[in-house]
Amino acid sequence: MWRVWLLFDPRRALVALFVFLFVLALLIHFILLSTDRFNWIEGPHHGALTTMQAAPK
Amino acid sequence: MSGVTKGSSTSGLTESEAKEFHSIFVSSFIIFTVVAIIAHILVWQWRPWLPGVNGYSTSLLDGVQFVKSFLV
Repeated sequence: MWRVWLLFDPRRALVALFVFLFVLALLIHFILLSTDRFNWIEGPHHGALTTMQAAPK
Repeated sequence: MSGVTKGSSTSGLTESEAKEFHSIFVSSFIIFTVVAIIAHILVWQWRPWLPGVNGYSTSLLDGVQFVKSFLV
């Protein structure tokens, strides 16, 4: 496997890998924030029928 | 890769340099993977993804119990 670094320049490969991982992480975090269940900042919104535990008025 | 001689590789690295970089790369990758696994375990404990057949209302532990019923 180490022969891959004879083919690819480690500097470019590392920059590409870091950029790819950063964009992927950013994408996943924003997707999670856009959901109701996995939004860790605002938490779930109970306005709609998102849960079955909404207390009846 | 039989034609690779010292300093004439596509990347310009020698074999020893490639091996040295590879060892650092592999150890860094392992550390990154371990941190990612720990993060995933914590997030799964917080809120598991992959809902059951009845949605997220039923705990996925039911699935674990289901699998456990086969094992025990």
